[in-house]
Amino acid sequence: MLGWGVDRLRADMSRLLAILFHQGVLDEQFLQLQQLQDESSPNFVSECKTDGYCDCRLDREFSDYKKMGIHLNQFMGSSSSIGANRVRNVCVAFRAASEQNNRAGCLRALELLEHEYCYLKNKLHELFQMEQQRVLAAGARYPLQQH
Amino acid sequence: MAALQRVTSSLGTSASTYGSCKGEGVKVSDQFPAGLRVLVVDDDITCLRLLEKMLRRCHYHVTTCSQATAALKLLRERKGCFDVVLSDVHMPDMDGFKLLELLGLEMDLPVIMMSADGRTSAVMRGIRHGACDYLIKPIREEELKNIWQHVIRKKWHDIKEQEHSGSFEDNDRHKRENDDAENASSVNEGAGVLKDQKKRSIAKEEDDAELENDDPSASKKPRVVWSVELHQQFVSAVNHLGIDKAVPKRILELMNVPGLTRENVASHLQKFRLYLKRLSGVAQQGGISNTFCGPLDSNVKLNPLGRFDIQVLAASSQIPPQTLAALHAELFGRPSGSMVTTVDEPALLQASMQGPKCIPVEPGMAFGQPLVKCQTNMSKHFPQNVVSAEEVASGFVAWPSNSVGTLGRGSNLGGMSSHSNMLMDLLQQQKQQQQSQQLPSLPEPSHVINVQPSCLVVPSQTSATFQAGNSPASVNQNCSRSPMIDYSLLSPQSNNSSLNIGQVSNGDLKTTGVSGYSGLGSISPLSSCSVNPDNSSQQVQSSTMTIRAARQLPGLGPNISNFQSSYGAKSSEVLDQGPLRNLGFVGKCTSIPSRLAVDEFESTMNNLEHEKFYTDMNGNKVKQEPNIEFTDNTRVGIPIIPQLAQLAPTSSDLMSVFTE
Repeated sequence: MLGWGVDRLRADMSRLLAILFHQGVLDEQFLQLQQLQDESSPNFVSECKTDGYCDCRLDREFSDYKKMGIHLNQFMGSSSSIGANRVRNVCVAFRAASEQNNRAGCLRALELLEHEYCYLKNKLHELFQMEQQRVLAAGARYPLQQH
Repeated sequence: MAALQRVTSSLGTSASTYGSCKGEGVKVSDQFPAGLRVLVVDDDITCLRLLEKMLRRCHYHVTTCSQATAALKLLRERKGCFDVVLSDVHMPDMDGFKLLELLGLEMDLPVIMMSADGRTSAVMRGIRHGACDYLIKPIREEELKNIWQHVIRKKWHDIKEQEHSGSFEDNDRHKRENDDAENASSVNEGAGVLKDQKKRSIAKEEDDAELENDDPSASKKPRVVWSVELHQQFVSAVNHLGIDKAVPKRILELMNVPGLTRENVASHLQKFRLYLKRLSGVAQQGGISNTFCGPLDSNVKLNPLGRFDIQVLAASSQIPPQTLAALHAELFGRPSGSMVTTVDEPALLQASMQGPKCIPVEPGMAFGQPLVKCQTNMSKHFPQNVVSAEEVASGFVAWPSNSVGTLGRGSNLGGMSSHSNMLMDLLQQQKQQQQSQQLPSLPEPSHVINVQPSCLVVPSQTSATFQAGNSPASVNQNCSRSPMIDYSLLSPQSNNSSLNIGQVSNGDLKTTGVSGYSGLGSISPLSSCSVNPDNSSQQVQSSTMTIRAARQLPGLGPNISNFQSSYGAKSSEVLDQGPLRNLGFVGKCTSIPSRLAVDEFESTMNNLEHEKFYTDMNGNKVKQEPNIEFTDNTRVGIPIIPQLAQLAPTSSDLMSVFTE
């Protein structure tokens, strides 16, 4: 029963990941992230995600494009580091708009960015929960095995 | 903070290797590249952790730092304990390029830049600043596996140059003289840049045939310490020859310093020229500035910024190189007053206390000196100012010179535009003053001069002017808090701050006493930067500064009044010249972090088209994806989050806007 749960969880996770990759939400960088996770702390991915996004401080007033540029750069760095492909792409477009002082473009980019970010966050959260369940289930199944 | 904890824990691990650092020198371990000692600096915790993990998988010794100032401090404390530095370009407390330059000059470490910004202009900037490599985020592990090549390359380069420097010296001399002349004009061209890079690294190595020999067995020889006096001589020699015609051989002859080699001079000249070029580029792009007024503080700390100012002036189109050379000559030619000597000695002492390899202050100091003297000579009206400035400066001796100076310089690299503006104005003003023999009698009390860390005094028109920019701090003469106010404003940690003159100019010095303080205030961020990167400790630092400043006050009273009057006169004249320009400068300074000023200009100018193209590419890409994905999802039967449905129209709207 538990074993079956583990396998199903794993299948679900794979499917979710496949979708995300297909959508371009995640890219191969995320795989690297996962690999790193396997070796050490299992919470690495979630930690990365949380840290990267917890200070999503995009300037809404657009009074200062330069400052926005800085935040954007950082955001882009974070998102690209964890493999958030679409988020990063939107950031790039956002940056272009801000450099051209294109206020409408910036607003739209911000909107889009929020969408992408929320979507990604939800999906990653889902993934993480599944992973936790899988670990628990696998732990119950193989009590001596460490993850 | 987690980052700090990590640093501490990393320090713990690297502490074990510290013992071996001293013994081995720069030897390569047997398991190379395993065990490579890497320092990673990135304000983004996500990236930092990721990199740390990946580097550990490459079997490197990793130390992480989330703040550039902390990293700089760490590197200075433990020179020789790191093999390579990975640094992010965009960091809040210090521009990555500043850090890069500082590290290259101070300790000749290979520095690899990282950034999410992969545009050609950004990468070019990295190369121009001397980065060994430029990695674009997201960084893959394979890229990190290869960073050891930069360490090896540098080492072998050093060894090769040492071998060659003796035998081919004569040939080199002729070749280098010609090449130096060429390089002067082609620094900013691609080929020239690469050549410069190569020559710079060559010159660095030949610098190692220096005056100190603390470890002859090490593969890296110690470097020439360019003290203030040495640099003064250098600059006067350059000025004498003319900046375009200054060749290392002639400079060496003019300097007549025993033990100094032509190669030392050549490399120093190269760096000098690079700074000029870089600052000239910034100066041309920069807006208008406040006047550059005399050096309030000939202290080491102020010098770094001063240096930039002079060089900016020189480099800007408005000021011919000859004027700059003249400035330098004047400054250095003028015999140092007793006060200046006093200042220099402690500064040098402190510098030397930091260790023989401590170079950071020296170039900064040297470069900055001209400003102090410049004022005196260029405008005869201010002889007293200089004296008082020096006296005031002597009060600052107590402050740690090395790190502050370096930081000032480092930070100033980012603030080049503002500095250049100020310098331009200053020189113009000085020229005018030279022509007109008279000074306005007394300064208006409302015209205050802010003394910049770079020895620049920025006259503020009114408090309103500056208040328009940053949060103002009215500094009162009587208030001993005033320096503290300056300091808090000058927090290096604040979002839109850098060690920018604009920030400093917030200190609105309304009275004579205050002008003295402004110098203090301007120095503070430098110190606080180096010592206390944390925001929380900013106040502690400020209070320390305040105490020091307060101590200096009594002795400076009468002098400051003289100082103020002269500067006030100057400021009034400056104000007449260009009130709007002051505003423009202030606005720019306050709203734009200095470290971005240059970048944005360059990138904007160079990449408008590029960005549009990129946007189009992205636009198309993004547009197509959602459509495809949605259909796929429908087929698969997976529930689609409402957000996805919203994405399609939004993205197409977005892209259409972009492609307009």
